[in-house]
Amino acid sequence: MKREVKIYVSLGIVVLSVLALISRLVQLQVVQQQEFGKESDKNSIKKIIETPARGLIIDRNGSIIVDNRPSYTLTITPFQFDKNLIDEVANLANLDPEDIRDDLSNAKGTNRFNPIKVKRDIDFKTISYIEENRDRLRGVSYQVESMRFYPNKFRASHILGYNAEVSEKSLLESTENYYRQGDLVGTIGLEKYYEKYLRGEKGSRLISVDVNGREVGPYNDGKNDVKPTNGADLYTSIDANLQEYAEKLMGGRRGAVIAIDPRTGEVLCLVSKPDYDLNAFVGTPDAKEINRLFNHPDKPLFNRATQTKYPPGSTWKMMMALAGMASGKITPTTTISCPGSLTYGNRTFEDHGAYGSITAVRALEVSSNVFFYKMGLMLGIKDYHDYSAMLGFGSRTGIDLPNETKGLLPSQEYFDKVYGVNKWSQGLMVSLGIGQGELGVSPVQMVAYTAAICMDGLYIQPHIVRKVYNSSTGQEYPLEVKKTQIEWSQKYFDAVKKGMYLVVNGTGTAKNIKNSDYILAGKTGTAQNPNGNNHSWFVGYAPYGDPKIAVCVLGENAGWGNQFAAPIAAAIMVRFLSGNSVDVFNENAKVEVHD
Amino acid sequence: MEKKFFDKFDITLFIAVIGLIVIGIFAIYSATQSSANNADFYLKQMTFAIAGLVMVIVVSYLPPRYISSLSYYAYGVSIVLLILVLLFGRTINGNKCWFYIAGFGIQPSEFAKVATVMAVSNFFYKGDEENPKIKPMQIMIATLMVAVPAVLIKLEHDTGTTLVMLSFLIPMFFFAGVSPFLLVAIITPIIAAILAFINIYYFYSFLALLLIALFYFKRHYIITGGVMVMNVLAGYSVKFMYSKLQPYQQNRIMAVFDPTSDPLGSGYNVIQSKVAIGSGGLFGKGFLQGSQTQLRFIPEQWTDFIYCMIGEEFGLIGAGVVILLFAIIIFRLLNNAYLSRNRYLMLACVGFASLFFFHMFINVGMTIGITPVIGIPLPLVSNGVSSLLSFLLMVGIGMNTYRHKDIFLS
Repeated sequence: MKREVKIYVSLGIVVLSVLALISRLVQLQVVQQQEFGKESDKNSIKKIIETPARGLIIDRNGSIIVDNRPSYTLTITPFQFDKNLIDEVANLANLDPEDIRDDLSNAKGTNRFNPIKVKRDIDFKTISYIEENRDRLRGVSYQVESMRFYPNKFRASHILGYNAEVSEKSLLESTENYYRQGDLVGTIGLEKYYEKYLRGEKGSRLISVDVNGREVGPYNDGKNDVKPTNGADLYTSIDANLQEYAEKLMGGRRGAVIAIDPRTGEVLCLVSKPDYDLNAFVGTPDAKEINRLFNHPDKPLFNRATQTKYPPGSTWKMMMALAGMASGKITPTTTISCPGSLTYGNRTFEDHGAYGSITAVRALEVSSNVFFYKMGLMLGIKDYHDYSAMLGFGSRTGIDLPNETKGLLPSQEYFDKVYGVNKWSQGLMVSLGIGQGELGVSPVQMVAYTAAICMDGLYIQPHIVRKVYNSSTGQEYPLEVKKTQIEWSQKYFDAVKKGMYLVVNGTGTAKNIKNSDYILAGKTGTAQNPNGNNHSWFVGYAPYGDPKIAVCVLGENAGWGNQFAAPIAAAIMVRFLSGNSVDVFNENAKVEVHD
Repeated sequence: MEKKFFDKFDITLFIAVIGLIVIGIFAIYSATQSSANNADFYLKQMTFAIAGLVMVIVVSYLPPRYISSLSYYAYGVSIVLLILVLLFGRTINGNKCWFYIAGFGIQPSEFAKVATVMAVSNFFYKGDEENPKIKPMQIMIATLMVAVPAVLIKLEHDTGTTLVMLSFLIPMFFFAGVSPFLLVAIITPIIAAILAFINIYYFYSFLALLLIALFYFKRHYIITGGVMVMNVLAGYSVKFMYSKLQPYQQNRIMAVFDPTSDPLGSGYNVIQSKVAIGSGGLFGKGFLQGSQTQLRFIPEQWTDFIYCMIGEEFGLIGAGVVILLFAIIIFRLLNNAYLSRNRYLMLACVGFASLFFFHMFINVGMTIGITPVIGIPLPLVSNGVSSLLSFLLMVGIGMNTYRHKDIFLS
């Protein structure tokens, strides 16, 4: 084919297309001009995004522990806004003019057509000022938004968590196209973990706007509007009364408490101290206060119940007894000689006393160190690691809070990596046997382990939320709880439980917490801390024959386990079992025996 | 002297290009005037337009051999950039196609268009014979050369630019010497698919016409039958493929036929832009006076929807002038292709003309509601540095073709 022909064919297509475009333009701009002109005068449309109310959080008895209240949020639409008004608006809303400038310059692209939220929780005086000066303050407006409200006598800061404005970084990275600049997003705690359920679905309203930018009413009688769908509510297993009580017991100390129902894995209370007031993050937070929280040396934002990894001390001894029996190294009746110290290589490891030849049950009761030094050596690193892993150590329990730690459960590979192959000795097993050394556990791991022991090997994933239910749509979202039955002989669990019983009710290390109404069982622990005073541990459950609550208490730098942790744990167990009526806590109870 | 200069300098093309850029800068100024940082928009566009026009002159003087020898390198570099942007790029409006270097957003996909046209031209350039024998293998390889960047761009979720990548292949085949029958076999299923989507009776009528046309090619009846079968299959599978599209794409296509069906989402843009353009009338509402575009909420009115601005403020006269300037640019590019004795430059000009045409037709079409809402810029007019420079690079090569029209490459 000749090139001319090709060119003519191409030109033909171009000419036809151009004619099509021009004739369509003539149709729109000449024939239908009147119609569109009228449309243009009266009926241009503005889209307003409506933010749904977040879901509520409810305790196990049906009381609302995280509620919403209405509030007004000051907005600026950058495209309409006159920059010269920045100072006036800043003054009005008690803001730094620089913050408004930042907000404005962060709004790029089509975001400049949408109102951006510059200050939450403005007062009625500000609203009336905006209304009175509507013509002058173009682009300045306000919208109703729901704000978090905590009607509680407790804080539960680490359970509930807070919402904060979505960060610029996550806006850029997000592909789901839900959040806009200034939107609130769950940043920590349940608010973050269940963000997708809590946030609901946004709606939108179309509004007709006249030539001067005034809103004249809903477009098409609101037929095209989409109502926002409120978020789903979280039904938690938290017992508000117990939570309040536990927070009171911990007072100004540093540490953590977590109590669960061993039969279901449901968390009854979870305290991490120091905590913080969630109200600090509501509305437009005070930057100074937020900075103070973030930089405080005691780390109040850090959840000590799920994020710390300390050596468990003697609370580890049940693990060793179980591993020894399950691996066949000992039986419940095997006796081991405990002469008061153990010499391994050229080092001597001390005990609290000489106990003669004793069984595992007795060793738990008196918290013999030598028994479990030997247990560590007998197990060796492989069995030590493998049996401990079966009770959840070295991995996350899966509790429904963000940033849970895995802890540290050492293995052959771990020591080879840290010290080099063949460069470490079995001597490490001695300390590991009594829960010291390079071993890190979190309170939530410890409570799940205690629960599994009292349930004869049924390991249940601890969880706070029992049900996610959206009351506006009637939809319930299924949740999954992982349960594992560890197939070890019932005799082994019986022996360990007997030991824990004797710790409190025999001659053991926690006889100071013996209770006449409820039979408590547990184990004290003291984690050596090279950087300061020892950490105090207690794990326990009650009632002994029919467990309904398992608890773990950690006191940072609080000394002996039976001094600090055991009385708190006991008080919490009794409080719960008595239907939140009895208070047995006695801070000054005498302590005679050390573990 | 005077005459000799214009003999080598495509003044018509150059003036048309400047015309569009100037209209574009006015429109960008108007679209962003009530914005706090409007200087960022029009000054940046102005600065890069001047730099780009200097580049046009420089490129027009380069020896053609030099340009063609760069083709594969340019292609290779743009593929690497597309991969890098996929790995490290920033996501804006759901498209992951931006690099940020010193505060400027750069879209490698814009440059990939130019580089791919150059590479395909170079691939088909085998001496300066008008209709060389094209082997099926060559068609496959050329298609693959376009498909690789197209797929990469699709992975960045930039559907508009992906479609653009596919637009210049058929015209380039046509001019490279692929037989008309083969082209009919390739194009007709696409047309059949579109018609089947719009109206099933259009589709049946088209099949009837096609049967008659195929008869005149006098090919073997098995081949003729094969083409017919392909058309029928394409038509029937379109509904199936439609169901595979992402919901927002479905909405966009549906909104073309019935914008009111989705006034909240994709239809919103179409309704608003039609009202804006329609209310502009014959002479427009005047510069900076467009009530729709000034006050209201047409998104991206300085980039993809800038034609609204022109239609509303400058009326049919302004909107028509823009289309005519595009027609002039496309005519000049085709004219230069026609005159050129250098088959590399001839093919490149055809590819560039196709790009200009496709961009203009789809972009203008979407604002007046006759084509789907596909996010591609209006060449030389929309605000955007990458797009502006890559189209000016095409103009530069087009001017180069005119300058060297009498020189064979081999």
